[in-house]
Amino acid sequence: MRESIDDRLGHVLYHETLPNGLNVYLLPKPGFQQTYATFTTHYGSVDSTFRLTGEPEFTTVPDGIAHFLEHKMFESEHGDVFRDFARHGASANAYTTFDITSYLFSSTQDIQENLEVLLDFVQDPYFTDENVAKEKGIIAQEIRMYEDNPDTRVFYGLLRALYAVHPVRIDIAGTVDSIQRIDKETLYRCYRTFYHPANMVFFAVGGFDPEAAMAVIRENQARKSFPEAPRIERKTPSEPPGVHQARAEVRLAVSQPRCLIGWKDPDPLPPGPGILERELLTGVVLDVLFGRSSDLFDELIGEGLIDQQFSWEYERTPEYGYSLIGGNTPDPDRLAARVEAKLDEVRERGLPEAEFERCRRKSIGRFMAALDSPSYIARHFASYRFRGADLFQTVEILDRLTLEDANRRMREHFVSGQRSISVVLPKA
Amino acid sequence: MSELTTFHTVDEGRFHIHTLQTDQFRTRHLVAKLAVPLHRERITETAMLPYLWLEGTRSHPTALAITRCADDLFGAMLRSGIGKRGNRHVAEVYLSVPDEGRLRGADGIFEQGLGLLLEVVTDPLLEGGGFSNGNVERERGLHRKRIESVLDDKIAWAMERALAESLAGLPEGLPRLGFAEDLEAVTPEGLYAAHQALLQEAEVHVYAIGAFDDSPALASRVLTALREAFPDPRHGTPSPGVPAVAPVPARSGEPHRVTDDQPVQQGKLNLVYRTGVAYASDDYPALLVANGVLGGFPHSKLFRNVREKASLAYYASSRVDALSGLVIIQTGIDPANRDRAEAIILEQVDALRRGDVADEELAFTKRGLANQYRQSLDVPAAMADIHFGGVLAGHTRTVDELLDAIADVTRDQVVAAANRLQLDTVYFLRGEGGAEHA
Repeated sequence: MRESIDDRLGHVLYHETLPNGLNVYLLPKPGFQQTYATFTTHYGSVDSTFRLTGEPEFTTVPDGIAHFLEHKMFESEHGDVFRDFARHGASANAYTTFDITSYLFSSTQDIQENLEVLLDFVQDPYFTDENVAKEKGIIAQEIRMYEDNPDTRVFYGLLRALYAVHPVRIDIAGTVDSIQRIDKETLYRCYRTFYHPANMVFFAVGGFDPEAAMAVIRENQARKSFPEAPRIERKTPSEPPGVHQARAEVRLAVSQPRCLIGWKDPDPLPPGPGILERELLTGVVLDVLFGRSSDLFDELIGEGLIDQQFSWEYERTPEYGYSLIGGNTPDPDRLAARVEAKLDEVRERGLPEAEFERCRRKSIGRFMAALDSPSYIARHFASYRFRGADLFQTVEILDRLTLEDANRRMREHFVSGQRSISVVLPKA
Repeated sequence: MSELTTFHTVDEGRFHIHTLQTDQFRTRHLVAKLAVPLHRERITETAMLPYLWLEGTRSHPTALAITRCADDLFGAMLRSGIGKRGNRHVAEVYLSVPDEGRLRGADGIFEQGLGLLLEVVTDPLLEGGGFSNGNVERERGLHRKRIESVLDDKIAWAMERALAESLAGLPEGLPRLGFAEDLEAVTPEGLYAAHQALLQEAEVHVYAIGAFDDSPALASRVLTALREAFPDPRHGTPSPGVPAVAPVPARSGEPHRVTDDQPVQQGKLNLVYRTGVAYASDDYPALLVANGVLGGFPHSKLFRNVREKASLAYYASSRVDALSGLVIIQTGIDPANRDRAEAIILEQVDALRRGDVADEELAFTKRGLANQYRQSLDVPAAMADIHFGGVLAGHTRTVDELLDAIADVTRDQVVAAANRLQLDTVYFLRGEGGAEHA
């Protein structure tokens, strides 16, 4: 077990790669009641066409299957996995994103038992025709719930406008139709491809003893046998650099329009620390331009064009990256025009240095504050790890960002041909 | 079990300072809560105040100046909002700053943050005899959107509607944000009068959690600042004339049945029960366990039967409102399955009332509740909220005491608590395609 001591952040991170290829990271946080543990596979909704090296053909699976698989893991041959966690006082959950699937528990008691439950259920798939059929009704209602949600709709609408062919344009849960095509054979195939320990990361944070926890994990994994780590080949269609559509629109039963404006990165970016640096740098630029302490935010509030829900986001993986800004607005087109005018102005004059410095320091402070949240750390650590980056380098990267970096990034990112607008309008 | 952390409280009249000195966090937290009884006449103005406070103070006259001041404190988080706890309206300002011991160049940011928090509550930007007219105009528009946008989150909307129907005519049933129809008549002077009334009448609770060098000194500094800024501290007379929050009373008759139609995909079925049991009651721990067995967890009856067995829903759960003593069930279903879902839900409540509760359900629920309460000690804002609920109910419990009380709950007590559940309102937000089943 290797220890990395981080004096600045005031913690020690333990790491071990087990013989089966599983990477285990443990971050003790003395004083915390809870232990928050995640078991995460590098497999998400975008991994829809794949094969293992040696297999003759690529397989394309139905939309929503990674998320469906996540649901189905909670049923084991002896019954419901939630009961196993409940027996040991843990709260369990899971989530699927575009690029990962993560299983987790948080608990203040029976930590060793709960670590075992987590490892065991994720490594014990049990799919039957009957339990697969039953899940379709549940997930259909999950999809319907999101269909009524304007935040979700405006977000997926934007991705469908930005991307022509990349599967990031497809809803993570799929559609009520696409999940009907999911069967147990395909689920097993996805499982065999993506749930080998070598494709997974185990991460725990909280008030536990790292030696004891590592021993439990090590012994649990040594008891099980796995085939040789397979080589996964993922196939994604080649995405053109420009946007697919300039504008997308949908109508829902809402009180006021919602609007997102997004910009698509045209370039792939190799896995590595560069991913985190790109995120942090773009984040500071977005905060300077559109954050709560920006001139534009204040002006737009004053003009009644936005409210305090207006926010920004940037997401970067090796394959794709996009920024977005937006929220409620009575007039999406006027909002977009105001944003463009602002961008014209900063392209000309550059970002103000004082604003850049304020936002950079704020970003450091906010990250330090987020370290108080085990769920924040756990959610982000494995995600960055699969992108080749280390969450705990956040502060050192922010420390060295310069105004020149920010201006270069601003001019390179906000290009009008890379922009789409997604709008949710009230039903008449 | 070891003594779990708890607040140290200093009271002076209606001022109450609760400090918790701990090295657990990298952040220091401050929350100011001002509680007054809910009144229809004042509700909208009072609801606007905490938002208006962040629009400008005498030394930071605009929202932008306040936000930049907070951002300059290494991104201090400054938020305000209005809440409803039982029959109380609670204006709240929250501030957290990174612990200065771990950041270069951050010395003194907590003191500055404390100053900023007190400033926004007590020293607003004024013009003539009222709040600044420009700031009031901004908030008039923003507050309207705040009220209207509740409609856009269908889960929250269905909950609001169910509670408004169930509690119609009671202060508890008033909407926390007030009424859009009041906004036209709101004036800078009227808002300032509401502000002064709030400062004059509210029970004021300030929570401070973090790695403080000297908590007693901090508490006395806050107290001094409150004494100077707030009128009439009512020295030595704690909370005169303000009774503790009591649960909403039981009522007789058939349950109300209300259906709203909206062009949405999913129907929302919410059931509201009155129990007459709230946080201060000796029966409250038993009600918590009963609710847990019914719908608090994935091992609970609702999740297992509505979702796992019948495949009718993605979410199906229940929760207790600690102060009003309501148990509220919520689920999202295909509108065509409404009758089936309701029958299954009612059957789960009946099973609980009959005492059809396995040892496992009881044991798992107690462990699950213990897990939740212990985890609340990792979240400063949650610690403050739980403590504050106890203060309003007139009976504070430490987390240790709550855990002990939950552990001692017997099956008979759970059944007795379940038999306090009185179905009050069945609310259905009916989506498209459900119309033919009317």
